[in-house]
Amino acid sequence: MQELSYYELLGLPQDATQDEIRRAYRQLVLRLHPDKNANKGETDLFIDVQKAYEYLSDPKKKVDYDHSLPFEHGIQSPLAIKTLYSQSALVNLSEPQLIYVLLELTIKPDTQLWTSSAPLNISLVVDCSTSMRGIRLDTVKSTAIDILRKLQPNDIFSLVKFNDWAELLIDPGNISSLKSAEMKVQLLQAGGGTEIFKGLELGYSQVEQFRSAQRVNHIILITDGRTYGDEAYCERLAEQAETLGIGISALGIGTKWNDKFLDHITSKTGGICKYIPDGGDIHNSIMDEITRLGSNLTEKISINYQLSQSIQLSGIYRLKPDPSSLDIITPLILGYVPHLGLLSVMFEFVITDLPENTSQLTLAKGFLDLEIPRHTVKSRYVHRLQFDRPISIKPGKTAPPAAILDAMTILSVLHLQERAREAMSRGDYSSAAHHMEYLAEHLQNKGEENLAKEVLLEVSYIRNNQSFSEEGQKRIKYGTRSLLLPARIDKD
Amino acid sequence: MIICPNCGNEELPGALFCKECGTQLTDTARDPTLAIPSSIADQIRQEKPDQVAQNVPPTPNDARLSLFLVDTGEVIPLEGLSEYTLGRSSEDQPILPDVDLASYHAYDYGVSRLHAAIKVSQPNVVLIDFGSANGTQLNGQKLSPNKPYPLTHGDIFTLGKMKIQLLVNR
Repeated sequence: MQELSYYELLGLPQDATQDEIRRAYRQLVLRLHPDKNANKGETDLFIDVQKAYEYLSDPKKKVDYDHSLPFEHGIQSPLAIKTLYSQSALVNLSEPQLIYVLLELTIKPDTQLWTSSAPLNISLVVDCSTSMRGIRLDTVKSTAIDILRKLQPNDIFSLVKFNDWAELLIDPGNISSLKSAEMKVQLLQAGGGTEIFKGLELGYSQVEQFRSAQRVNHIILITDGRTYGDEAYCERLAEQAETLGIGISALGIGTKWNDKFLDHITSKTGGICKYIPDGGDIHNSIMDEITRLGSNLTEKISINYQLSQSIQLSGIYRLKPDPSSLDIITPLILGYVPHLGLLSVMFEFVITDLPENTSQLTLAKGFLDLEIPRHTVKSRYVHRLQFDRPISIKPGKTAPPAAILDAMTILSVLHLQERAREAMSRGDYSSAAHHMEYLAEHLQNKGEENLAKEVLLEVSYIRNNQSFSEEGQKRIKYGTRSLLLPARIDKD
Repeated sequence: MIICPNCGNEELPGALFCKECGTQLTDTARDPTLAIPSSIADQIRQEKPDQVAQNVPPTPNDARLSLFLVDTGEVIPLEGLSEYTLGRSSEDQPILPDVDLASYHAYDYGVSRLHAAIKVSQPNVVLIDFGSANGTQLNGQKLSPNKPYPLTHGDIFTLGKMKIQLLVNR
């Protein structure tokens, strides 16, 4: 396995300044310090980071190190970055103002350095609580067997079942015979509660054992229920997984699972969270996720950013490939660029105060870090990233770029739906119903009549019952999200 | 602040959509099929500012500056002063605006009595909002009150909802 360079370890390009080196080091130390993380993988990482800093922070050692770097560290990144702004310039106002920045990432079409497919290192973590009994578990079982049969010699696969506790059903290091593995899956039975953390933890330790930069390291959680009391542990585990480059995706079946919680956990790692309605196609949803992981060119893209003074980041939304609101933290996990597709992310900045006497303002700057397990030459690239805008004394006449307006049209629909949820959680039913009516109106205007009808049905449910219906809420949430997904998605 | 015309929610300048009701707040006319022109005024409104100017009748008296009321197609020449206050006259109002828009249905458009001013100091022209109730926008952006903003030929500003284009006759 090819070692990461000291620059890659710190998430920096090779032309990083001493200031940037110091800053990156400090951030990593805060995240990885052994006092905070007992996990072995992270302790190793901490020691490597120490060593990297020791070399790069000493100008003399840095020069020697730079000379020792092999040629491929100068290879151009296959990532193409496009930045669009909602305004051609900022206007000098006496009040705060907003600006939107759309970041579009694609893989350059002429990139030819891929291996045909990346070996997988995957753990399937299956909820076997009582509610899974019947067709749900049966379908998951047959899908797991399907996966087992399709595994390539280099793939690593484990299966964890959990209810009130977790059990390793298929040991990744030791699939002695396919037949006995299939037998074990066949014998799976449902019963008991849903302790998601126990399942995730066991799945995590399997993936961690075989973790490698040349593999797609991923946990797929399949559940239909809610976990109680261990959410904070799950969150911590997701953060740990993220530092080690392990992704977590979740597939929620039916209406009883906690979509908000799983959205949160998966987005921390750049994974996705999918809803499978009752009677939906469980088999294909799982297989799609496996195929996606195998065909992705990029595994994880993150941005380590720093905001300028008097600038706030008030929202980050991923539009493609999987619509989701992202946590406003640094490093920011963006997710992946799909095969032949686009990763697009919208940033909403609030500028509270424009500095005097400058003609240009930097909103934020940082480094974009790209992991590519399938790249034959180099598995990590770092890009320098900076958002800035000129300042003018009067508003310009140009309309925002079409791509931004299109994105915001859909985001505003997603917002309405989130607002309704917020209002509901405050107990403000009438406001929730009101937002849902606006939502129906916009969906109608967009020609999404079925979804609009569903929303209106939900409005009357809210009026009668003063709460969302579990099913309606999820259908509408994932229905509005899927507006972003049809054919229009990759035409550009 | 930008006030959402649909629900009255306040958004920061630069916002593209109202977060409360999802109404688009920018003036983009990207899709001209959305509105069918019902009058000449409507037709003019959809065209680019520069084209508007070409369709306008020649300004009377060869005035250097004039105001083109976009909705009605009327032209008001500005002459003889270096500063023009814009507003609408009403009963028992002690100070009358230099440009009285009352006869152009200014009340219905939400124009304040003393709404804004245009100052001319050759060769520059600036627009100042007087902290009016419904605000002034320049090319779709809300202006901060009592601050001068440069105006050039073809700029469209809005007093309340009244759209006015500045014409400079060379």
